[in-house]
Amino acid sequence: MTLLRPPSATAPARPAVRPRRRRGRADRRPRVLMAVTAVFFALLYLPIGVVALFSFNSRKSLTVFGGFSLRWYHAFAHDDVLLSSLGTSLRISLVATAGSVVLGGALALGLVRCRTRLGSLAGLVMLVPLITPEIVTGVASMLLFKGLGVALSTGTVMLSEITFSISYVTVILRSRVAALNPEVEEAAMDLGATRWQALRLVTLPALLPAVLAAAVLVFALVFDDFVLAYFTTGVDPQPLSVRIYSAIRFGVQPTINAVGTLMLAGSICLIALALFIPRLFGRRGGLDILSGE
Amino acid sequence: MALLRPSSRTRRHGAGADGSRMWAWFMLPGTLWMTGFLIASLVLVAVLAVGTTDELGNPRFGFDLAGVRALTDPAYTEVLARSLGYALLTCLICLLIAYPVAYTIALYGGRYKNALIAAIVVPFFANYLVRMYGWSVVLSDDGPVLRALRAIGLADGDTKILNTGPGVVAGLVYGFVVFMIIPLYAALERLDVSLIEAGRDLYGGPVRTFLFVTLPATRQGAAAGLVLVFLPAMGDFVSAQLMGGPDQIMIGNLIQDKFFQGQNWPLGSALTMLLMLVLLIGMFGYLRRTRKDEAEARR
Repeated sequence: MTLLRPPSATAPARPAVRPRRRRGRADRRPRVLMAVTAVFFALLYLPIGVVALFSFNSRKSLTVFGGFSLRWYHAFAHDDVLLSSLGTSLRISLVATAGSVVLGGALALGLVRCRTRLGSLAGLVMLVPLITPEIVTGVASMLLFKGLGVALSTGTVMLSEITFSISYVTVILRSRVAALNPEVEEAAMDLGATRWQALRLVTLPALLPAVLAAAVLVFALVFDDFVLAYFTTGVDPQPLSVRIYSAIRFGVQPTINAVGTLMLAGSICLIALALFIPRLFGRRGGLDILSGE
Repeated sequence: MALLRPSSRTRRHGAGADGSRMWAWFMLPGTLWMTGFLIASLVLVAVLAVGTTDELGNPRFGFDLAGVRALTDPAYTEVLARSLGYALLTCLICLLIAYPVAYTIALYGGRYKNALIAAIVVPFFANYLVRMYGWSVVLSDDGPVLRALRAIGLADGDTKILNTGPGVVAGLVYGFVVFMIIPLYAALERLDVSLIEAGRDLYGGPVRTFLFVTLPATRQGAAAGLVLVFLPAMGDFVSAQLMGGPDQIMIGNLIQDKFFQGQNWPLGSALTMLLMLVLLIGMFGYLRRTRKDEAEARR
């Protein structure tokens, strides 16, 4: 390994060697790899495709396609329970997004710029939701509300979702804040801006693409979240994913195919949007918001 | 990051401590919120794990080890062992799937690399329940997978995937394989291709080159992926519910049952703490490993 290290030493020799090797045994390998990758992609999209296809089925079956029809979408549009759940989910996502973006954004700014012991402690607290499995967070939140004597409701779901989403926002924004050049802010202050003006007029506009991307992503994550909502919701109204859960537990309900297809389409659009927002603002890349780098 | 250092030094001379204090105030609301809701509630779970119930089944605080002692009941240790087995098997299968996929995309994806990774990541962050539900339809007795296997003679009429252990693992793999692909892809992307070519130039076959060059160079990505898959797989209860039967329940299903149907909160809390403990051991092992790796890399 160490012998191979200096790439500069091997690099000039490469062009002469490469064509021969590429056409030799190396050519057989990618075919197997590509077959595995193709099967993977097929299996990845098959379940989504099946749900989408059978949402247009004219029959109730999940295995026999009887013909194209919109009856399950029609059924959804007239299902008051599901519609009110949709509204509940949208409200929860909006509130949770707003709350977590404000709290998480401020936390990200503070974490990057306040390098004290308090700062590293805050950084540790922020990691807890990321390494705690959702079922534990769910149980814990439910017990906290019950222990405080708070009846479970849409409000308790909102509070729990905010708690869980702060970390995501902070992780996404932290690297962006760290990449900012603080001297620009200092220049603004040298030119007479107060600290708040510098923050509002210089720093926040520079962070806007990342903030928007984080907001869209968190909205989609909260809207799709099931476990936390399941543990902290009241009986009525329930978020859409909790309704879907009770529906798919008790047998086939083709309306769920229609709802599921709409939800998948919606969140796929949102997540794709989150990935491409930085590009809209002329930044390179987009996938990096997922890894937080 | 490096850019920040010198200027923070200048700031200490000028606006100095005042600036740092302001940023500390920025951290306060979020940190207080998370401490109040999350840390406090986790402590509450730990306290309730040694709590008791009154005649009506309502939880009471106290010190009673009944919940904790119940964990040694064979019925529960069996579920814990099964969950561990399923989660570890899921990790292994995810690794076996993710390596070829991430490798193909990173090395042969060309200019479609980003699009291909996005095509994997985007559906994975879409609704988990709907995806799992679709997967259970695909794996059902009349579903496309079993039909295809029957057509090529790999399965007969009696072969089932749903309601079996492999079905639950298949669900977990489908649910979380993306968490393996992302770190592996990142590691493979960073990998210097000339290393692999050098391995071949030194007459290493594809397998040996992989084992002695690619695998060691991407070990950290694989380790991160293992943790990222293990955490959610161990706590999952949806897969066992949709893909498994009563003989395949996992610790997540037990916890759910104790809080919703069984109404035995101290036992549910004890089970939750047990799950947390297993995961913390896993995390601790991972952190020690990476720290050792980093120390070696620095040498």
